[in-house]
Amino acid sequence: MRLLLVEDEPEIQSFLQQPLANAGYEVDAAKDGRTAIQLATENNYDVLIVDLGLPDQDGIDLILQLRRSGVSSPVLILSARRSVDDRVKGLEQGGDDYLTKPFALAELLARLRNLLRRNPATSEEATRLRVLDLELDFISRRASRGEEVLNLSPQEFVLLTYLCRHAGRVVTRSMLLSEVWGMRFQPNTNVVDVHIYRLRGKVDTEGRDPLIKTLRGIGYVLKDR
Amino acid sequence: MSSKTANPVMHSAAWRISLWATLAFAIGTLLVFVMLHRFVASDIQRRSDAWLTGEVAVLGDVAGRTPKDRLYSRVLSEVAELASREVPDKLRSNSNENDSVFFLQAGDDGTLKLWVGSGDGLPNLAAIRARKFISDVPYDLNVQGFKQPFRVASVRLDDGSHIYLGLSEKDVIRVLNNLRFRFLFLWLLIVLFGSVIVFFVTRRMLGHVREITEAASRIGQSDLSSRVPTGKRNDEVGHLALTLNHMLDRIETSVHQLHTITESLAHDIRSPLTAIRGKLEIVLSSDLKVEQSEQIVSVIDELDRLSEFLNTSLDVAEAKADALRLSKTDVDLDELVRIMIDLYEPSLSEKGLRVSLRSAGPVTVLADAALLHRVIANLLDNEINHVPASCTICITLGASENAATLIVEDDGPGFDAEIGPQVFKQRVKRRDSKGHGLGLAFVEAVVRAHGGSVTASNRPDGGASLSITWPREMEEKIDVSNSLALVNG
Repeated sequence: MRLLLVEDEPEIQSFLQQPLANAGYEVDAAKDGRTAIQLATENNYDVLIVDLGLPDQDGIDLILQLRRSGVSSPVLILSARRSVDDRVKGLEQGGDDYLTKPFALAELLARLRNLLRRNPATSEEATRLRVLDLELDFISRRASRGEEVLNLSPQEFVLLTYLCRHAGRVVTRSMLLSEVWGMRFQPNTNVVDVHIYRLRGKVDTEGRDPLIKTLRGIGYVLKDR
Repeated sequence: MSSKTANPVMHSAAWRISLWATLAFAIGTLLVFVMLHRFVASDIQRRSDAWLTGEVAVLGDVAGRTPKDRLYSRVLSEVAELASREVPDKLRSNSNENDSVFFLQAGDDGTLKLWVGSGDGLPNLAAIRARKFISDVPYDLNVQGFKQPFRVASVRLDDGSHIYLGLSEKDVIRVLNNLRFRFLFLWLLIVLFGSVIVFFVTRRMLGHVREITEAASRIGQSDLSSRVPTGKRNDEVGHLALTLNHMLDRIETSVHQLHTITESLAHDIRSPLTAIRGKLEIVLSSDLKVEQSEQIVSVIDELDRLSEFLNTSLDVAEAKADALRLSKTDVDLDELVRIMIDLYEPSLSEKGLRVSLRSAGPVTVLADAALLHRVIANLLDNEINHVPASCTICITLGASENAATLIVEDDGPGFDAEIGPQVFKQRVKRRDSKGHGLGLAFVEAVVRAHGGSVTASNRPDGGASLSITWPREMEEKIDVSNSLALVNG
C-alpha cells in the first residue's frame, strides 16, 4: 500500500510516518502542494492524506487539481479548522473522508482502512457475520454467543455490528458516534462509554472470554483471535 | 395575517406621499384659479362698464341735441339699437329680439318716456325707481322677469329726465360659467392624472428602497459577502445603497479579521496538540506499566478536553460577535432529540435520571446541524452534571407556524439564586461543577446566531426549566402574499 502524506507541519509529519509504516503503508511525504502534485502524478498511490492548511495553496484546491490531473485515489483530509466547510462535505460525498485535528491515531488508521476498502460488505456478510463464537444475523436482527441468544436493544445491535465489522481493529468514541448515531461532536460526558459498558454486560457475561476490550485513551477493540 | 398587512397599498409610503402631494396640488391650483377667475370677472365688468358709460354718454348727447319732435324717439331708438349691436363679450344671439340690452328714458316725474328693448320696460323702470339712490357709476339691477341682473348706467339730461342703458349680465355669467366648468373638468383630470403619476413614481422609487431593505435584511441574516443592489442611479436611493455597501464592506472586513484570528489561533494550538496527542498514543501502544499508562491516558483526556474547550470558546466568541458561520440545512428536531435521548439514555439512567419526551411529531427547522447536535448534547450534559439522582427530565417539543420550541425541565434543585440571571454567561458555573462553564453560554450563543432565544427559569414547583425558541423560516411565504396583495391592489 503506497500512501502520500501531504502535511507541512514537520512535527505531525514525523510522528505520523512511523505508525503508518507500522500499519503496513509505504509512506511518501510532501511539504507543499507543488511537490504533492509532482509526486502524485509520477507515482501511483493507493491513498492520500492531505492537510488543508498548506503553505502554498488551499488543500481543497490541491485535491481538485489532483482529480483534474487524473489522480483518483481516495483522500483523507486533515483539517485544523474548527468548522468543516461545505466544500469538504462535498468531497466527503465523493468518497473521500475528513478528520479534524487533534485526532486519535487509531481513528486515522481506521478511516484509512475504510477508504481503502472499496467493496465493504460481501454477500455473506450481508446476512450473517461471525466473530469467534459471536454471531450476528441481519435478517432476524439477533445476536448470539455460542448457543445463547443475546437480548440486545436495536441500538445495541447496531453498535455491536459496527464493532464486529471492525473486529481486531481499534474504533474510537468519535467513530462510534459518527457511524452509529450519525453525529460528529465530542460529548463532554462519557455517553459512548456507558453504551459500551451496557453492551459488554450482555456480550461478555461471566464465565465467557471477554470480547470487547477497552483501550484507554484510544477507544475499543473487539477481539477476533 | 394581521391587519397590518391586510392592505399593503393603503399602508405604503407611496400611497401617503401621493395622497398629500395630490391634496397640496389640488388646493394650490384651486387658489390660482380663484384668483384668475376674480381677475377675469372684474376685467369683463370693467370693460362692460366702460362701454356702458361711453354709450350712455353718447345717447345722452344725442338726446340733448335731437329736437323733441316726432322723430326724437325714432332717432334715439335707432342709436340705441346700433349701440346694442356693439355689445362687448356678446355671444351669438339666437333670436332677432335683443334682450341683452335695454334703453330707457324716464321723465323726472318717473314716467316711461322712451323704451327700447324686449318687453314693455315697466318692470325695468320699477326696479330702477326702487333704488334709493342714483349713482353715476354703473350698478347691478335685478329686474323682475329676468333671471340675470342687468348692469345699468345712467345719465341725467338737461330737461330733468334720465336715460338708462342696461346690459344684461347673462353673457358675462355664461362666459364665467363656461370658464368655471372647463377649469373644473381639466382640474379634476390633472389632479387625478398627477396623483396616479406621483403614486407610481414614488412607488417605483420606494420599491428600490424596499429592495435595498430586503437585501440588507437577507445579508444581516446570512451572507455577509453579498451586497444590496445599487443599479445605475445617482440619486438619494443610489447613495443609500452605496453607503450600505460601504458599511457592509467594513463589517465584512471586521468579521473576516475575526475569523482569521480565531482560525489561526485554532490552527496554531491544534497542530501542536495533534503532534503531542499522537506521540502520547505511540508511547501508550508500547509496553508500559499500568500506572504509567494511566497517567498518559489522563493526559490524553485532558488534551481532548482542552481542544474541545478551545473550539467551544472560539464558537461562543464568534457567536457573540455575530460572526458564527452557519451552514444551514433542514433538520428535524423531533428526530434529532429522539436520537440524542437514545444516545444519552444509558448515561442518564446510570445516574438515576429518568427522561420523557413529549412531541407532536416532526418539527423541521433550518439550522446548522453540527451546532444543533452540540446544543442538544450540551443541554443533556448539563442535566447529567447538575441534576441529582432519581429526578425526572421532561423534554417538550412544540411548534407553531413560525417558531419551534424546545423545553427541557427537571424536578431537581433548579438554578442557584446567585447564578440565576447569569446562567448563560461564560465561565458562570456552580462551585462543584467540573465543566468550563461554557455549556449554556454555547447553547445561548448558537440559538441567538440562528435568530432564536433561550430563557432559563426555576419552575414554581421546583426544578429548572430551559426554554429554547427556534425560528422557522417563513419569509418566502410572506413575500409571496405581499406581492400578491400588491398585484390585487
